[in-house]
Amino acid sequence: MDPVGLFFYLVAFLIFGGIYAILCLALNVQWGYGGLFNAGIAGFFAVGAYTSALLTAAPAQTHLGGYELPVPVGILAAAVTAGLTGWAVAKICIRLKSDYLAMASIGIAEILRMVIVNEDWLTNGSLGITNIPRPFDGFVQGRAADILFLLVVWAVVIIVYLICNRLYDSPWGRTLRAVRDNEDAARAVGKDVDAFRLQTFVIGAALMGVAGALSAHYFRFLSPEATEPLLITFLVWVMLMAGGSGNNKGAIVGALSVWAIWSMTEIFANRLPAEFATRSSYIRMLLIGLLLQFVLQRYRSGLLPERSPGNAFDKDTDKTNG
Amino acid sequence: MRKSVVMVAVAGLLAGTAMAQAADTKIGALMDVTGPLASFIPPLMNAANFAIKNVNDGGGLLDGKAVLVVGDSQAASQPAVDAATKLVNVENVPIIMGALASGSTIAAATAVTIPAGVVQISPTATSPAMTEMNDGDHLYRLVPSDNYQGDVLAKIVLAEGIKKVAITYVNNDYGVGIANTFNAAFKKAGGEVTAFEKHEDKKNSYRSEIATLAKSSPEALVVIAYASGSGSKIVKQAIEGGFFSRFIGTDGLRDDQLIKEVGADALKDSFFSAPTSPDKNDASAKLHEAFNAEYKEGADKPFVDQTYDATFLAALAVEKAGSADKTKMIQALREVASAPGEVVGPLDWAKAKELIKAGKDINYEGAGGSYEFDANGDVTGYIGKFIVDGDTYKQIEIFQ
Repeated sequence: MDPVGLFFYLVAFLIFGGIYAILCLALNVQWGYGGLFNAGIAGFFAVGAYTSALLTAAPAQTHLGGYELPVPVGILAAAVTAGLTGWAVAKICIRLKSDYLAMASIGIAEILRMVIVNEDWLTNGSLGITNIPRPFDGFVQGRAADILFLLVVWAVVIIVYLICNRLYDSPWGRTLRAVRDNEDAARAVGKDVDAFRLQTFVIGAALMGVAGALSAHYFRFLSPEATEPLLITFLVWVMLMAGGSGNNKGAIVGALSVWAIWSMTEIFANRLPAEFATRSSYIRMLLIGLLLQFVLQRYRSGLLPERSPGNAFDKDTDKTNG
Repeated sequence: MRKSVVMVAVAGLLAGTAMAQAADTKIGALMDVTGPLASFIPPLMNAANFAIKNVNDGGGLLDGKAVLVVGDSQAASQPAVDAATKLVNVENVPIIMGALASGSTIAAATAVTIPAGVVQISPTATSPAMTEMNDGDHLYRLVPSDNYQGDVLAKIVLAEGIKKVAITYVNNDYGVGIANTFNAAFKKAGGEVTAFEKHEDKKNSYRSEIATLAKSSPEALVVIAYASGSGSKIVKQAIEGGFFSRFIGTDGLRDDQLIKEVGADALKDSFFSAPTSPDKNDASAKLHEAFNAEYKEGADKPFVDQTYDATFLAALAVEKAGSADKTKMIQALREVASAPGEVVGPLDWAKAKELIKAGKDINYEGAGGSYEFDANGDVTGYIGKFIVDGDTYKQIEIFQ
């Protein structure tokens, strides 16, 4: 194996890992902070991806848009439309208890997928959108362009991480945890529980839209196949559970480690003779499942469990005692 | 303790295969092994393996053996890009066969293989988007684009002496793709299109649409739709209302169900186009016999021919280039696939290797076609002209 190739594999691995990290951070806001069981991540991901793709792609007769806007505009618009979609969804079903919200959100994600597949005047249906640019396209050619995109993705990851951390430490975040842990108590002290949950849902959905946009730019191509729930919704849930829900560092660690298991196992599967290729692909899926089982059993609250920030009251006691 | 045992085993596995492959050349394959296309894959995997086996039985690739490295693209974008990344960067394959689904093929190509400069040959992707793609000549396919039939149908219609038609097509990627190409090609060649109307599938009555289409008296109605959906109904209602008596259809309409519903008599002036195989194809028969002798079954499954041919072509390109240098693949692939040159077919690896060694130009004519790539990396394929004969269809002419 040549080291240059391995380096570029690592770059691609980290791009995927970064996109999944954003999804994980977004889900962490919804589930880790707010206790909202969103099982329709793929839906918001798709809305963001298609928004950014349609705004930035080259004009084409096969779908709406192709406005060739700059990529950052596309990404911001993706956050806005995914957030608005999240708002509409939250308006309808935010009052549902967790498991019912899960069912409703699966349904909504499926509706969004069907719209994307069927409304081909808008999205070119199952044939997808081509000629989606990457940021700074044209500065670097060939494989090296991946490095530039890696920097963009991780810049976004860091921004999202900082926002999420700030949210977690804020009074808003504390209220949210109160809502999550004891809704009735939060209501009793006068917090508008529904408003808080709605805000959480919208912020999470907007961040999911950003991740969708980044993946459309990475692939330079977008079709409904890119919004497969197995790879977006469920894999992201596993990542957050493995990393530690409620912990932003955990979300990133979870995304990277689960993606490592997902992606790198194939390198080992490829060492088997090609006659076994059909079987080894399935065995690989089985092993991924087993490994995830092991991680989830061994580390119940994730690799990096949630750690509540020290509150003002604790600090006071510390001072008096020490 | 257990951990170290596993580590040693893994290290052993890696080291063992690394040594065995010292002089071997890897051919990459993106196969949608798991995922929605899973049920198609086993015979196709056999086809790819069979091509590699033929290569190795016939003297091997370059100075060693050919080794197929399979990436599981799962017919979805993320796994396709991820698998292609590994084939290109970790396995260092000079050329890739695959993927099967259009979506995973395009995603792998735009995100990975085109920037990395690796040639990719899809045996099955039919998306029209691949024709216009800015791929630096790295993306090829062995089946014609969905749009190709529209082009050829225009030729067939004009050859029949029909100059003035109305067109109606079902509003999905099949209908839109073929209808647009047909419309453009027909007008360009001097034909007149009196109406160009799309319709929605799954309605009960199309009478008002048909009345609109019949205005300004076209000679025939071109129906691009499925017989089981809107197609049969439109033909039936157009005959009942006395609007049209002559119909032109594509492979979607060319279905026994149409004859059942409308009757052979009413279709005696109509004709249809559909993809077909070349006239006399010994290569296909030869491959099928050998394939079934090896695997007992599956040679007649869809795209077995193309998958075998794609893998074989990938190996030929490497042999022709004389090394596993990915930058030489475009030229080598075009040389071995297209005329002129001495014709070699499936199973002929030993002959091909000898010819290449002797410095002779070769031309691979596969089981699924002759694969003369055009400037876009597309192939033309064959379209047959069919008429109704009793309660089934008869092919009367082949167009290219």
